[in-house]
Amino acid sequence: MSPHENRPHEDGLPQDPQDMKLMIHALVDGELDAAAALAVERRMAADPELATEHARLVALRGAVASLPRPSVSDDFLARIAAIAEVKDAGDAVQPTAAKVEPQQQQGNVVEMRPRAARWFNSFDWRQMAASIALTAVLASGATQWLATADNGSDSFAVAVANGHRRSLLAATPVDIVSSDRHTVKPWLDGRIGVSPAAPDMAKDGYALLGGRVEVIGDKPMPALVYRHHEHLITLVAAPRQNEAKSMPVADDLSAGGFLLVHWTDDAFSYWAISDAERPALDDFVTRFRAAIIANPAAGSPG
Amino acid sequence: MAGAPDGGTVLSEKMLAARFAEVVLPHLGDALSLARWLTGNQADAEDVVQEACLKAHAGIAGFAGGNARAWLLTIVRNASYTWMARNRPRSVVAVGDLADLDDVSPPPDNDADSPEAALIAKANSAAVEAAIARLPQAFRETVVLRDINGLSYREIATMLGVPQGTVMSRLARARGLLMTELGGRHHEPA
Repeated sequence: MSPHENRPHEDGLPQDPQDMKLMIHALVDGELDAAAALAVERRMAADPELATEHARLVALRGAVASLPRPSVSDDFLARIAAIAEVKDAGDAVQPTAAKVEPQQQQGNVVEMRPRAARWFNSFDWRQMAASIALTAVLASGATQWLATADNGSDSFAVAVANGHRRSLLAATPVDIVSSDRHTVKPWLDGRIGVSPAAPDMAKDGYALLGGRVEVIGDKPMPALVYRHHEHLITLVAAPRQNEAKSMPVADDLSAGGFLLVHWTDDAFSYWAISDAERPALDDFVTRFRAAIIANPAAGSPG
Repeated sequence: MAGAPDGGTVLSEKMLAARFAEVVLPHLGDALSLARWLTGNQADAEDVVQEACLKAHAGIAGFAGGNARAWLLTIVRNASYTWMARNRPRSVVAVGDLADLDDVSPPPDNDADSPEAALIAKANSAAVEAAIARLPQAFRETVVLRDINGLSYREIATMLGVPQGTVMSRLARARGLLMTELGGRHHEPA
């Protein structure tokens, strides 16, 4: 078939033309490392047949990628979101359901019932019928979760988690190495014009390693990195927006397999994240907040 | 993981709910895509994905990190086949058929040229969708997982429980069939 079949290659790629085509697929799919990709590209340059195959594959991928995707309707998203929350209300006595105001929901219940009833016929959801009210509330809540993906706290937490995960994989988790807040604060100030208090709490078992800049939802934000035994704690301090609601009480969350604690003070909205145990993270947060209160001068935004 | 002793259950329920929101909800579009291609239509896809999400919620505590999309899509795939076996027993491909498909020799080289690439690129959505729908099930799911859901070879191999080489050859065969059809060359499908 191919004139190259009998010529030995030194590039480590398959000799068999069919296997070589698989390598073209792998190249198009981004599955090759740089060295293999280079070798395949060289073969393509020398072999028009391979180049043609590559062109067809790229064309096909483009055609498939441009197919319309099914949209996730609000109704459907609400149904799925309800799976998790409804269970809460049923099993756990008081949580989410207790927070929502009953008065407001009454209207929604009536409105939603016909549609909800249809879902119940195809699935064994009857036992959840009592929770339609919650479903209705979630319908709007879940939609908003998508619509405000940029600033919603869920996605923010995920972004914080991703940043933390990336920092664990990077050569160094910090951009500025220093245990001295007089170094870290000015550095952050100089970079992004804002810096949180950066108390060193080494005596409490939380040593300040340094700081870095996280970019979350298009905004650069200061992040401090502490070490507690073998664990790193990233503390992202988002300057508080005027409209952001105050949340002086720490809220325990999780994202991406990490534990998070979120709270706000006058100047910043804090997100502490770590793979440390919950008690250690809570202890860190308690001590950090105490340290800021003890030295409020360090806490003013840069 | 749980918080104070008295609030432990509540907290973990809350955490599970949060986890569900972060692991499952962002990937519903992909889940619907896969289910739509495996079952053949959108309405069935929603039913399948809903069942899959119930299973995902039940098993959310077992999600050990990694690619949440691949994890959810594995459940969606299983739910699709369960659903198909229940609702359309005739259309499910038996396991023996899958092995046979992998043995089929590759199609003959057609010395294609660039005009064909142009034809493929210009193919309209309906033609592309019809061509994908006509693929044998094993080829279709592989090409959908790769080109529509964007999973890596390794993730697909893990999901299907086959070697990575099998994924590569199925993908090449699937794309070969699609390109032949969309490129305007009507070879006899192998």
